[in-house]
Amino acid sequence: MNVTQHSSDLSITNLRLKFAGESSFIFKDLSFSVPQGQKVLLLGPSGCGKSTLLQVLSGIIPASIEVPMKVDAIQKSDSWGFVFQDPDTQFCMPMVDEELAFVLENLSIPREQMEPGMTRVLEMVGLHLDELHVPIQSFSQGMKQRLALATVLLLNPEVLFLDEPSALLDPDGTIQIWKAIKNVASEKTVIIVEHKIEHVISFVDRVVLFNDQGAIIADHTPDFVFSNYKEKLIQYGIWYPDVWKDYSQSDTYLSIMNEKHLYSQSPSIPTLLRKQPPLLWLHQFAGYREKQRRIYVREAAVHTGEWIAITGENGAGKSTFLLSLMQLLQTDGTYVIEGHSIVQTHSRLKKHAPPSQLAFVFQNPEMQFVTDSVYDEIAFALQLDNQPQKEIDRIVKEMLLSFHLHVNEDRHPYQLSIGQKRRLSVASAIIQNQPILLLDEPTFGLDAKSTFAMLEQLEQLRADGVSILMITHDPNIIQYFCDQVWDIREGKLSSISKIQRAAEATTSIHDHNNEADRIERNILHCEAAAERST
Amino acid sequence: MKLFTPQKETWFYHVNPAFKFLLILIALLVTLFNRNFAFALHLLILYILSLVLWSGYSWRKLLLLLAPFILIFISTASTMILFGKGDVIWWTWGIIKISEESFFRGLLLSMKTVSFGVMGLLFVLTTKPLLFFYALMQQFHLPPKYGYSFIAAIRLLPTVWEEFHTRTNALKIRGVRYKAGIKGIYERIRLYAVPLLAQSIRRAQRIAVAMEAKQFHIGSSRTYYYATSYSRLDAVLLLIIVGLLLFAYTSAQYIPLFEWEPPIQQ
Repeated sequence: MNVTQHSSDLSITNLRLKFAGESSFIFKDLSFSVPQGQKVLLLGPSGCGKSTLLQVLSGIIPASIEVPMKVDAIQKSDSWGFVFQDPDTQFCMPMVDEELAFVLENLSIPREQMEPGMTRVLEMVGLHLDELHVPIQSFSQGMKQRLALATVLLLNPEVLFLDEPSALLDPDGTIQIWKAIKNVASEKTVIIVEHKIEHVISFVDRVVLFNDQGAIIADHTPDFVFSNYKEKLIQYGIWYPDVWKDYSQSDTYLSIMNEKHLYSQSPSIPTLLRKQPPLLWLHQFAGYREKQRRIYVREAAVHTGEWIAITGENGAGKSTFLLSLMQLLQTDGTYVIEGHSIVQTHSRLKKHAPPSQLAFVFQNPEMQFVTDSVYDEIAFALQLDNQPQKEIDRIVKEMLLSFHLHVNEDRHPYQLSIGQKRRLSVASAIIQNQPILLLDEPTFGLDAKSTFAMLEQLEQLRADGVSILMITHDPNIIQYFCDQVWDIREGKLSSISKIQRAAEATTSIHDHNNEADRIERNILHCEAAAERST
Repeated sequence: MKLFTPQKETWFYHVNPAFKFLLILIALLVTLFNRNFAFALHLLILYILSLVLWSGYSWRKLLLLLAPFILIFISTASTMILFGKGDVIWWTWGIIKISEESFFRGLLLSMKTVSFGVMGLLFVLTTKPLLFFYALMQQFHLPPKYGYSFIAAIRLLPTVWEEFHTRTNALKIRGVRYKAGIKGIYERIRLYAVPLLAQSIRRAQRIAVAMEAKQFHIGSSRTYYYATSYSRLDAVLLLIIVGLLLFAYTSAQYIPLFEWEPPIQQ
């Protein structure tokens, strides 16, 4: 082998690849090359094969994952590292030092030289630990991703493959991981797949845009692609830097906010609706896990049609709060819904009957699916209530339509896309017209398009009179959609703040019919509530 | 998890974990194939003695941890005692028939069960799982692919447990009600198994790929972060275990605490 051939360029010619059981090719005659030292960002809709391409270029396919593929020519690097998306499935050891040691063991590094290597890479990714022998589980998700980067650096790779390393991180973690990557990768070839690109674009030299058939439709500098292919970026749900600004000026958003604004200003709403007592009221309310108080709320109230964001750091007690409201944990204090005191008796905890006014959506939708088809999933609660089949049919059809679930009703819920799974989980939770909806990060890990679809759906529910309590980390969602923020700190509800939206739209035309509709629905909802409370 | 912190680390903690496992296994095999009542009794007493002396845990904690085994002792013994075969009948009532043979066989069987419990507990309490697999790979030449698979699997257990709780909550919230009887049990299994297995399989697959991406290759040579080796303590333990078995055997022959011979079959 002579010197010119031994470059660390990566290239692939006429790649054909197809997953078993699928009718169409992921890639059909794809050619692609990356010169040494270049930083490339791959963009495209979910499922277009970007991650698969990373795995082919690194050699994970076909070495670790067997997929039938054919190439005319391929040049890979011998020295590469791969950071995956999910922080919880990259490690095989319980402790930080042991995980790093695992890589060093693989490289047959003598034991005495291991510890200096570990400290070196941890410093490089900005993890300054006094003690290396700590459980990985004690890390935040963002720290885990930086640890994953550190383990990869031990391999001394010439090429770094990054498969959505910040997709599952909160804003803070996202900033940290990209800072670490920029810090360590200046000399390396870096190939990135990522939907959240705000912190990435300043780092890359080249952006490659794929369409949903796995073909390259643009391959140019970031500036060129972002100015000429914006439509595509929106269509593919990519979190480009101005996505929120553009969305807030879109017709959909403006009309939503306009209606919301008009509704709150409208003189035609019965004053009764405005001045009713709170829908949900808490006073010196506490939730316990294993006899220890983990959440305390001095006083808080939720009114009809309010959208409340619950924020706080990992482990502050946000999920505990929602589970306490659902009465799945031991609680005490005053807890009133629709004028009825929720008293926790031993038998309630035993009988597992959450208050009937609450609907709950889990972060991982798969955990709450109980049936084998989309139809049954929505119909489940109705069937438990023994409603007539005709009625069930009607409601399910309506739900599928309003939640934009345009799929075969018989499809297994697991076979939906992540955005569809989330929407299905909300639809099936809210089917009994509960007045309060609790959600645990409903937009977590979604692309921009699915996030907006989810938020619009929730806004629709809110406008129909549902109150929403939602855990979220995203300041944009709070700014553009929520009415209040409840901040939870160290197991206490520490502050309640109202969101002021300066840009409450005032320009567009007032649609009377629409408003009348909305008020009518709201009244219906209140009647339903009254019925329930008798 | 204060329950699982010992009061002190005895010398038994520093024996090579793989070698310790082997010796305990041998001792238990002796127990398993023995049919002499006095020998089994003496062995059990010695096992309990070693648990108390070497585990480094207080009496009370050990009793708490042994509680399930006492339950097993009673249940295995009682089934055998009440329904076993035998000629020297002590008492009958309906289908219950207690004979001398069934009584002692029942006790023998449950003593063996508890011996396994006691020694198993001793091993688990005094051994770090990670070091056990490292020792298996280094001293007993277990292929690394199995060693690290077990280690990775242990790491996954808490997540599975957490997901089990989440699923329980989710099923409560969805208002799932189970049918009575066998059908209900089947339903329960299905409702838990599908999501938990789906998550676990996906996770296992991802971890496996991540491990190979970190240049973990089957068959290539490697170094070890935790070097385990044989020491003087291992020889000491070997002598003690052999001595213990011999002592229990001879004392059962000459000064049995309790003796019972099965009647000679005709």
